[in-house]
Amino acid sequence: MSQETIRNFSIIAHIDHGKSTLADRLIETTGTLSKREMEEQILDSLDLERERGITIKAQAVRLEYQAKDGKEYMLNLIDTPGHVDFTYEVSSALQACEGALLVIDATQGIEAQTLANVYLAMEHDLAIIPVINKVDLPSADPERVKHEIEEILGIDASEAILCSAKTGMGIDEVLEAIVQRIPAPHGDCSKPLQALVFDSKFDAYKGVVLYVRVINGNIRKGMRIKMMATGKVFEVTEVGCFVPKPVSIDILEEGQVGFLAAGIKNVRDARVGDTVTNNDNPADIPLPGYRKATPMVYCGLYPLDNSDYDNLRDALEKLQLNDASLVFEPETSVALGFGFRCGFLGLLHMDVMKERLEREYNLSLLTTAPNVIYEVFRTNGTVEMVDNPSLFPDPTVIDHVEEPFVNATIIVPKDYVGAVMELSQEKRGEYDNMTYLDESRVMIHYSLPLSEIIYDYFDKLKSCSRGYASLDYELHGYKPSNLVKVDILLNGEPVDALSAIVHRERATYRGRQLVEKLRGLIPRQMFEIPVQAAIGNKVIARETVSAMRKDVLAKCYGGDISRKHKLLEKQKEGKKRMKQVGTVELPQEAFMAILKMDDNK
Amino acid sequence: MNNWEQIQGIYIHIPFCLQKCLYCDFASFPQQDRETMAKYTDNLCQEIQQRALSFPVNPQATIYFGGGTPSVLPLEDIAKIVGTLKNNGLWQKPLEATIEANPGTISLESLSTYRQLGFDRISFGIQSMQDEELRAMGRVHTSLQAREAIKLAGEAGFSRISADLIYGYPSQTLKSVTDSLQTLVLQGIKHMSVYGLVVEEGTPLCNYLDVGKLILPSEDDSGDMYDCVTKYLPQQGYKRYEISNYACIGEESRHNLVYWQYLPYLGLGLSACSFDGQARITNSNNIEEYLQGKTPETEKLDIETRLAEYIFMGLRTSYGVNLAVAEERFAIDIREIYKKEISECQSKGFMEIDRLQRTMHLTDFGMKFGNQVFEKFL
Repeated sequence: MSQETIRNFSIIAHIDHGKSTLADRLIETTGTLSKREMEEQILDSLDLERERGITIKAQAVRLEYQAKDGKEYMLNLIDTPGHVDFTYEVSSALQACEGALLVIDATQGIEAQTLANVYLAMEHDLAIIPVINKVDLPSADPERVKHEIEEILGIDASEAILCSAKTGMGIDEVLEAIVQRIPAPHGDCSKPLQALVFDSKFDAYKGVVLYVRVINGNIRKGMRIKMMATGKVFEVTEVGCFVPKPVSIDILEEGQVGFLAAGIKNVRDARVGDTVTNNDNPADIPLPGYRKATPMVYCGLYPLDNSDYDNLRDALEKLQLNDASLVFEPETSVALGFGFRCGFLGLLHMDVMKERLEREYNLSLLTTAPNVIYEVFRTNGTVEMVDNPSLFPDPTVIDHVEEPFVNATIIVPKDYVGAVMELSQEKRGEYDNMTYLDESRVMIHYSLPLSEIIYDYFDKLKSCSRGYASLDYELHGYKPSNLVKVDILLNGEPVDALSAIVHRERATYRGRQLVEKLRGLIPRQMFEIPVQAAIGNKVIARETVSAMRKDVLAKCYGGDISRKHKLLEKQKEGKKRMKQVGTVELPQEAFMAILKMDDNK
Repeated sequence: MNNWEQIQGIYIHIPFCLQKCLYCDFASFPQQDRETMAKYTDNLCQEIQQRALSFPVNPQATIYFGGGTPSVLPLEDIAKIVGTLKNNGLWQKPLEATIEANPGTISLESLSTYRQLGFDRISFGIQSMQDEELRAMGRVHTSLQAREAIKLAGEAGFSRISADLIYGYPSQTLKSVTDSLQTLVLQGIKHMSVYGLVVEEGTPLCNYLDVGKLILPSEDDSGDMYDCVTKYLPQQGYKRYEISNYACIGEESRHNLVYWQYLPYLGLGLSACSFDGQARITNSNNIEEYLQGKTPETEKLDIETRLAEYIFMGLRTSYGVNLAVAEERFAIDIREIYKKEISECQSKGFMEIDRLQRTMHLTDFGMKFGNQVFEKFL
């Protein structure tokens, strides 16, 4: 097949601007799947993705399209993950394309993620087709959006397509624009194979299935391939494409998108962003852009039932087969026993993984509050990366500490600028600059500690702007901060899993908040429990959980023993969800208390 | 025949009341429609006839009419039900025949009729002797009516009168609860059931609490009320013979002891529950289904479940669990099977085994934290 009739494209959009609906509509309009098949297809994907309305893994679908010029085109739609946690995956997916549909909600306009995605697309030199979606809604204001596209993004909006993915309006125009405005790939079949891995998936029968875009050369079954970053060599057992079900084909040629299987046992051997080449005729250099995805957020995962430790390890290993960005290593907590310290790309990634462990592997887990990695510079000149607050060294041996900062972009209606700035200052942000997007909306840039974003920045941002603000951020680097470790003592005993790293100026306040919160969360027990916060040996706050007064079901009525029985069972189950720490039984929420504090002073 | 092989108590459910109390989630509903009541009575009588022969019944089996409010049912219906029970051998020489009544729905005539029908014990849902609290509970009667009812019951010839009371309800205080108890003691009530409030899902009370329209007493205040009740009544000569029940000598409820000793009982009427020693048989709690004659659900209870229930029901009483009886009944040595649990409860001071090794029972401390003991045996 000639590359002339191939188009590789992505859809980029801020969350909820209609990316998936548009993708569904394109699949349906090109006749790739009927409506009924679409629903089945949808059910096949990860439950969690559907529930949360976001894409976590990239997907690739081949659409066949008969264009108005009479020619048959092969359109490869590469869906991108829709969350800031997965920026690197988005970048890899975009690298596999020549163009992108930029979807903007006609009622909302440009948001922070729109910008971030456009910049990524521009970095990869993609042809960008602005698509203004949801124009059927009464509050749609396509003119304002066009203005924003020109002013903010610097993209010519005269050819923006007005569409409604919901009603189907403008879909034909979108398809024609893909054919006319996105360049065909221009690979060279005579050059050695270079194929970009933009996603991978573990299949129990085939091993790791790589989603690839062939840049130069071609891939066939039986070929010995080499992963250029890891140096591993495999023999290709299958090549295919998605229509959208996976179908085997003979060959993947330059410019095409598809998958390959090669008996790869572990996703770590063939990572996203790596380049596949022919082992017998290798390319000189890999495609640019590969890096290892680095975890930004860490937390401890512990089985509630200690005997589940091995099951948890097995489950983590299985998840890691599918997700090379998940890292974990065994750790021991005095309070919680044996568990794992796990690293994630971000909070969403963490939540998704935790939910999958609980749902798919039926594990009851206790999660400690997430934290970032701190760089601790010791007085003896050594530097240490600390991913667990309880391992934070004694203050006397610390010269200084650095923590990760992000460059945050906030887009907000101008009436809320004051509130956003106040919040950002409070969250130790450093103001960078501010631009008026139009008469009513403002883009603000701040440098913020990642730990504050993890803590509650996003929730606060949403509430102080009545939900109007949008946020995007990228890791910028490490900067010194005046940080201390706050320990929590229950019944006089420190509970390592409750330790938190906080800014020194806020330590007393946060300590007080934390013990108050814990007092509310810890159920009364047979004895009184002092709850204290301390920095080193100095107690900075104290509360007391009073002893339980009584615990007995009063009434048994009309011989209905079964009801009483069930109530007792329920109470017993409830206790199983608690973690025995020393003499105290702690509910799971206690370990997340530091994240769930109201600042209502 | 062993007493665990015969029906020892008969419960009759009357699901009607004048007005639903805010905290109530029993199968009952406000109903003054004469026709529905008559239809229910007919169905109930049919059920009595059908099920009377299904189990061997002790001629001395106790009788208990509960609800709802049995006293809202017209006297002729009560008479018809009693007659049917007698004709079918369920009411022969009961050790005790109790009827529940609301102080706001009785008269000297009705009370006298109950006596004539053979009831020898009456249980009043008094709940509180403070009018403000009664209103907050959605009760239809006043404290004055409660006094009046007690007096009339005496006049009608009831020597055994019981009162139900609630503590831990919104707006109650330690003092108001103590005052209510004191008033009833002075009225000469010789049996009291004093229940800590349980907020049930879906009740109006639960909703009011959720939206903050009513506020529960604090855990400490309820704790103080519990301490007061459990101390005050024994001082006044009442024996605490079950976690929530207090009686002067000889005034214990024989019927409730059937449940606590896990002996077979027959429950008839809407939502009523029966236990034949092996299985639990539960009637539908949906009035339409019941009137259509829906077959009750039978749940076969395995030996573990029966043993657990036997123990936690028995431990509710001051007599505790009789180990010798248990061994005979279940062919199991409880001390062996629950060795670890028992010694744990003993070491925590929850439980004692008497010197002759005949019974195990909760201490006062253990009664206070009964759930922690009971759940160990599940």
